[in-house]
Amino acid sequence: MTHKEMIEKVLTNIEKVMIGKRDIAELSVTALLARGHVLLEDVPGVGKTMMVKALAKSIGADFKRIQFTPDLLPSDVLGVSIYNPREMEFEFRPGPIMGNIILADEINRTSPKTQSSLLEGMEESTVTIDGETMRIPQPFFVMATQNPIEYEGTYPLPEAQLDRFLFKLKMGYPTKLEEIEVLDRAEKAVPIDTLETVVSLEELIELQKAVTEVKVDNTIKSYIVECAAQTRDNPYVYLGVSPRGSLALMKACQAYAMIKGRTYVIPDDVQYLSPFVFGHRMILRPEAKYEGISTTEIVERILMKVRVPIDKVQLK
Amino acid sequence: MTGTRIDRRLLLILYILALILLREWLIPVIELTNSDHLSLFLLFVALSFFLSLIKVKWWIVLPTKLLFIVLATHYVFFEKVLFTQETLVRLSGNFLANAPIIMNGDWERITNPFRTVLFFAVLWMTTYLIRHWIEVRKSILLFYIMTILFIAFIDTFGGYAADGAIFRIMVTGLLLLGLLAITRLAERHNTSVPTGTFLAISIPLLVAVVVSGALANILPKKDPIWPDPFPYFESLVQGRGEGGGGAKSGYDMNDSTLGGSFVQDSTLVFEAKVDSQQYWKIETKNTYTSKGWEQVSIDDVPISFIPGMKMGEIAGRGNVEDTAQLLADLKVSEAFPFIVYPYGMNKVYATKDVVFQYSEGAGKYSTEIEGKQEALDSYQVEFTESDYSLKKLRATRMEDFSGVAEDLTQYLQLPEQLPERVKELAKNITDNQESVYEKTKAIERYFGRNGFVYTQQGVAIPKAGDDYVDQFLFDTKKGYCDNFSTSMVVMLRSIDIPARWVKGFAPGEFVLNDADEKVYQITNNEAHSWVEAYMPGIGWMPYEPTIGFNSLTDIEYDIELNLDDTLTPEVKKPEQPKKEQTEKTVKTDKNFKISEIFISVGTWIRNNMWIVGAIGFIVIFAGWRLFVGRVKWLPKVLVYTHRTNQDDWVTFTRRYTSLLKQLNRSGLKRATGMTLSDYATMVDNYFGGERMKMLTTAYEKGLYGGNITDHEWFELKEIWEDLINRTSG
Repeated sequence: MTHKEMIEKVLTNIEKVMIGKRDIAELSVTALLARGHVLLEDVPGVGKTMMVKALAKSIGADFKRIQFTPDLLPSDVLGVSIYNPREMEFEFRPGPIMGNIILADEINRTSPKTQSSLLEGMEESTVTIDGETMRIPQPFFVMATQNPIEYEGTYPLPEAQLDRFLFKLKMGYPTKLEEIEVLDRAEKAVPIDTLETVVSLEELIELQKAVTEVKVDNTIKSYIVECAAQTRDNPYVYLGVSPRGSLALMKACQAYAMIKGRTYVIPDDVQYLSPFVFGHRMILRPEAKYEGISTTEIVERILMKVRVPIDKVQLK
Repeated sequence: MTGTRIDRRLLLILYILALILLREWLIPVIELTNSDHLSLFLLFVALSFFLSLIKVKWWIVLPTKLLFIVLATHYVFFEKVLFTQETLVRLSGNFLANAPIIMNGDWERITNPFRTVLFFAVLWMTTYLIRHWIEVRKSILLFYIMTILFIAFIDTFGGYAADGAIFRIMVTGLLLLGLLAITRLAERHNTSVPTGTFLAISIPLLVAVVVSGALANILPKKDPIWPDPFPYFESLVQGRGEGGGGAKSGYDMNDSTLGGSFVQDSTLVFEAKVDSQQYWKIETKNTYTSKGWEQVSIDDVPISFIPGMKMGEIAGRGNVEDTAQLLADLKVSEAFPFIVYPYGMNKVYATKDVVFQYSEGAGKYSTEIEGKQEALDSYQVEFTESDYSLKKLRATRMEDFSGVAEDLTQYLQLPEQLPERVKELAKNITDNQESVYEKTKAIERYFGRNGFVYTQQGVAIPKAGDDYVDQFLFDTKKGYCDNFSTSMVVMLRSIDIPARWVKGFAPGEFVLNDADEKVYQITNNEAHSWVEAYMPGIGWMPYEPTIGFNSLTDIEYDIELNLDDTLTPEVKKPEQPKKEQTEKTVKTDKNFKISEIFISVGTWIRNNMWIVGAIGFIVIFAGWRLFVGRVKWLPKVLVYTHRTNQDDWVTFTRRYTSLLKQLNRSGLKRATGMTLSDYATMVDNYFGGERMKMLTTAYEKGLYGGNITDHEWFELKEIWEDLINRTSG
C-alpha cells in the first residue's frame, strides 16, 4: 500500500461521516502528517467534533476531548498526582492531554494559565507535572476550536500562542444539498459508530517520517521565503510572518504533496496552503480592518504578485 | 476652465513667455510669406491673453476681438486706422467676393484681406489652445517641442536662419516648463504655493536657465560634422545640377548650378593619337553667379576659320621660340558641334568641308557645315607645346596690369554677395608673394596643403543664401574639379588677378590600339575644369588647382636659382606625375569592377526611387505582418527547430519553454503569480484534452522533484508537437 493509498483510505473514511468537507479533512490530515495542530474557528454545530472523532477512529487513535471552561485548571488538562494510601505514594493520574488526538473545545474560554498548559504540550510534545517531564504518546494531534461570536468572557489567544497552530481553518456551513445528505445518513444510525480503523498508529508514524522525505526544491524554498518576506513589507501588515511561519509552511507543503501522491512540493502546494498557515501569523494594521481587508485577502494579493518559479534561477 | 487656479501674477508671466514663444512662430511665417505687420498679429495675441487674464465675460471678449480683427485688416489694406464709409464698403465687398471662390475650392484666388482674417482666426484658436495648456493642463511641453521642431525644420529646409530664435525658444520654453511644473506640483498636493516659496523655487530656475543660456550663447561652438543636410539630400536626389541629365559625369553645357554628387560614366568621348599628355580645352566662362558659371558675351562676333588655316589660340606663345610642330589625331565618338583642342593649337585639318566659328570670349570653336552646327567625327590638330619662362613669370607685377591693352574687366567680375572672408583668405594666401605668377601659384597650391578632399560623392549644392565657393572653402572642404577651379578663379579675381574658368577634358588613359599605336582614350570621366589666369606681359596661362591632377604647363627654368623654393617641386614634377598616373591606373583597374557595380547599383536605385521605396514599404509591411502573425507560423518553425533525436531533460525544457512563449503569444497569458499547473488547467480548458497537464506534470517532476531521467520522452515529444501545432489554429 503506497502512502497515497493509505491517506486516501483515511480521507474516504472521514468522508463517510463528514459530507462535503473533503478540503477540511485533507487539511486536518496534512496537519497530522506534518506533526502540526489545527485551530478551527467556527460556530458550534458544523461538525468540528465529528471531524476529529472520525479522524481518530480512522487511525485507531486514542481520542480525548477537553471542554475548556473559565474554571478549568492546568491539572485538569495535564493530569494530577494523587496520594494512594494503599501504596503509600503519589500516583500520577494522566490528564486528557495524554492522548493521541485531542479536541480542545472552546479554547479561548479558559484562563491563559490553562491555555498555556495545553499549548506547551503542543509545542514540546512533553508535559511537566510536579517537576517530572513526561512525553506525550505519538502521534499527537490537537484540534482546538474557538467560537468567534461569543467574545464575552473569553481570553483571546495571544499571537505567540496562535503561532503554535499549523493551520487556522474555518469550517463553514454545508450547502443545502450537503445538509440534506447529512440528515439522510443520520436517519437510521449514528454513522460515526460504524467507522473502522483503516490505518494503524504505527503506519501513521511511518507516514509522518515519510513526509520529511518529500523534496522541497531550492526554487520552492525561495518562493516560500519571498512570500513570507512580502507579508513583512506589506503596508497593511503590522507584524508579518516569522521565519517559523515559513518553516511551518514548508512542512505543511511536504505533507500536502504526499497527500497528493507526489514526492516533491510544487508552487501550487505553497499557494494553496499559505492562507491557512500565514493567516493567523500576521497582525494587521487598523487601516486594513477599516477597509475590511482580511489576512486571507492580503495573502492572496501577495501570491498574485510574487513570481512563481517556473525555471531554475540562481538564488540571490 | 477647471483645475486649480493659477495666481494672477504668475499667469501674467506665463502668458508673456507664451507670447514670446508664439512670436517665434509668427516671425518666420511673416518673413517667408513676405507679409508684414508682425506687431499687429502680436498685439492680437497679447489682447487675447490680456482679456483672459482679467477674466472678461465672453460676450465682451468676442466683439472686442472681432472689432480688432476688422480694424487690423482695415489698417493693413488701407493704411488708415479709422473706417470711412467707402473703405468699409470696399472691405466688405472684398470679403463677400470670397464666398464663390471658397465654394469652388479655388484656394489660390482668395483675396488678401480675407486671408488676413483667416490668419487672425487661426491665431485666435491658437491662443485658446495655449490658454488651455497653461491654465488647465499646466503643461506646455507639447507646444514647446512643436515650436522647436517647426523652427528647426524651416531652418533646415527653408531659407530662414533661426540662430537667435532657437536660443530665445530654449530660454523661454524652459522657463515656462519650470514654472508650470511648480504649479502642477502645487495642484497635485491641492495647495497653493505661497509667494515667498514660489520665488525661492523659481529664482534659482530663472538664474539657471539664463546663465546656462548665456553661456551657451557665448561659448565657442563646433561646426557641424555633417554638411548641411538639405543641399546634401537635394544633391542625392537631383544629381549634379539641373541640366546634368541625372548625375553622370561628362561635358555639360549648363554650369549655372554647380555642386552635387555625380557618378562615373566611362563612355568613350574621343580617342587622341598624340605623343604627349594634353589637356583638351573646349571653352571658358567668365561670369560667376555664386551658384555656378555663365558665359556673358560682350560683342562677341565669331571669327571663321576653315581647315588648315592658322588659328587664333595664342596663349603663351610668342614668348619662347616655337618648337617643333606636334600633331594630334582625334576620333570623336560623341556628337559635339565644336572641337576639343590642346593648348598651343595652330591649325586644324578635317576631311569634311567644315567652318570653325571661333568665339573669342568663350574660346570655343564651333563646327559648322553649310551654316548648320554639325559634329565632326575626326580631325587633326597641329599644335605647339607652350613653354613659359620662369624668369619672365617671376617678373610679373600687379602694377603691370595697367599696361595691358586687352580689356580684362569681365574676368574680374564677382557677385556682390560674395562673403568677405573669401577675399580675406585670398589675401592671406598671397600676401607674401611678389609676382602675379607666384601669387597665382600660391592659390593653386593652397588646396593641396589645407586638408581639402577630392571626392565626387556627397558634394553639397549651395542653398538659396549660400555661396558655392564660400561653402567649399570654409564649410565642406570637399569636392571635385569644379569646386577647386571655381574657388581658385574667384580668389584670384578677389585679389584683382584676371582669371576665367575653363572646361574641357583631362589627358585621359593611355592605351595601345589595334594597330599598336599610342592612343589616349578620353571618356566622360575625364570631363574636367581648370583655371586660366592672365599673366601681364605673357597672356592667359592654365593652372590646375584640383588635387590629384598634375600641373598643366611646362616652365622653362631660364634663371639662376638657389635650388631652393619653387624649383624643387617644379623639377620633380615630370617624374612624379608618371608614377602617380601609373599607380592610379593600376589601382583603378583593380577596383574598377567593384566600384562599377556599386555605382551602377546606386544609379539604378536613384533612377527607380519609387520602385525601391515601394519594395521597401512592401518588405517592411510584410515583415511587420509576419511578426504580428508569428503565432500562426512560428509553431511550424519551432517543431522543426526542436526536431532532434536527442531526448533528454534539456531538450524537453527547451520545448516546454518555447511552448509557454507560444501560448503566451497566442493570447493565453500567464500572470506572474500563476502556477504552471493552474496555467495547464487553463490551457487544457481552452484546447481540450489534458496535454498541457501531462507536459506540466513532467516538467514539475523534473524542475521541483529533481527527477530528470525517469520520463517518457517520446510520448512527451508527441504531446508537445500536437499541442504546439494547435496553438496556431
